[in-house]
Amino acid sequence: MMINDKNSQKIVDIIQNYARKHSLWILAYGTGCGAIEIPPTMTSRYDAERLGVRGAATPRQADVLLITGYLTTKTLKRVIRVYEQMQDPKYVIGFGSCTINGGMYWDSYNTIKALDRYLPVDVFINGCMPRPEAVLAGFAKLQELIQAGKADGARKYKENLEWYRANQKKVIPNWRMPEYNW
Amino acid sequence: MEEIKSTIIQRIKTHFSDATEKEYPYNRVDFSVKKETIPAILFYLKDEMGFKHLSHISCIDWLEENEFEVVFIVWSPTDKIKVFVHTRVDRENPVMDNVDMIWRQANTYEREMREMFGIQFTGLEAPEEFLLEDWEGPPPMRRDFDTEAYATNTYWERPGREDAKDIRETIEKRSGEILPDFAKKYTR
Repeated sequence: MMINDKNSQKIVDIIQNYARKHSLWILAYGTGCGAIEIPPTMTSRYDAERLGVRGAATPRQADVLLITGYLTTKTLKRVIRVYEQMQDPKYVIGFGSCTINGGMYWDSYNTIKALDRYLPVDVFINGCMPRPEAVLAGFAKLQELIQAGKADGARKYKENLEWYRANQKKVIPNWRMPEYNW
Repeated sequence: MEEIKSTIIQRIKTHFSDATEKEYPYNRVDFSVKKETIPAILFYLKDEMGFKHLSHISCIDWLEENEFEVVFIVWSPTDKIKVFVHTRVDRENPVMDNVDMIWRQANTYEREMREMFGIQFTGLEAPEEFLLEDWEGPPPMRRDFDTEAYATNTYWERPGREDAKDIRETIEKRSGEILPDFAKKYTR
């Protein structure tokens, strides 16, 4: 929603961000081993739904893409496609040390070592594996960033698409992907 | 158990002259044969001796001897005995007979070995790609494939983990948190 008046826009943004941060729907898509920490986060013991975090079935319904662990180049292809199908506002959480610096798969022949070269990451959660408390802390941090209007990964991706594309094509030699015109 | 094992060894040795056996304790018997005998010995084990179940096919890379070793593990549900059939394939020209007419699930193992070790199975009907997509390098499970060099050349690495320094020292410096003595002995 865009309003010409500057001060009114500020108020609209605050309300918008407040609403967005309390309904983070994460895509039910688990890569690597970290997806095993999501069921305890979602179920009764840690109950992430009290923060508005819940699962969504399809990319078009989801706001948050959780990359739970290592990404092989084969999975990276699917993840990029999923991310580009998601609708704004969208956020990416890198989960586990594999997304930060490769983790224990640092010398593997088919896993990438740094996720933020290929997709814009808003929040990293470190640990191998991060406990549900750490996952919730990551979500709380993301909410903070959204309220402050600083979770702008999607905008970064659109503005620097060429840089991201060049990196993606370096590890995915046979590029047969649809181009979206969002 | 010992009686059944000795009869198995006897029957295999009378039928296949190139088979050499090696006995292990409990329920395991090993045979080494030439690669031309593999379909015949597996057919014989399955149809005549009740080894109905193919447990696994695996491959070992003997780089120093310039050979691949392919191991077939079969299991007999009636005798409760497993038989390992070893064979050696030349590493420069690794060609073997396809055995997926005996057990259909052998097809999957053969596809994996074709992709990971580069062993060609004559008459194997399967798509070219199995697990790897758009793979252009040499078969990655061969021992002369330098995994670390490939990973360093292909994927960008975030600087900071070359020295393998303990993160706790950095935390100590940054936040002024005092490390307990027992934690210091784990730092490298």
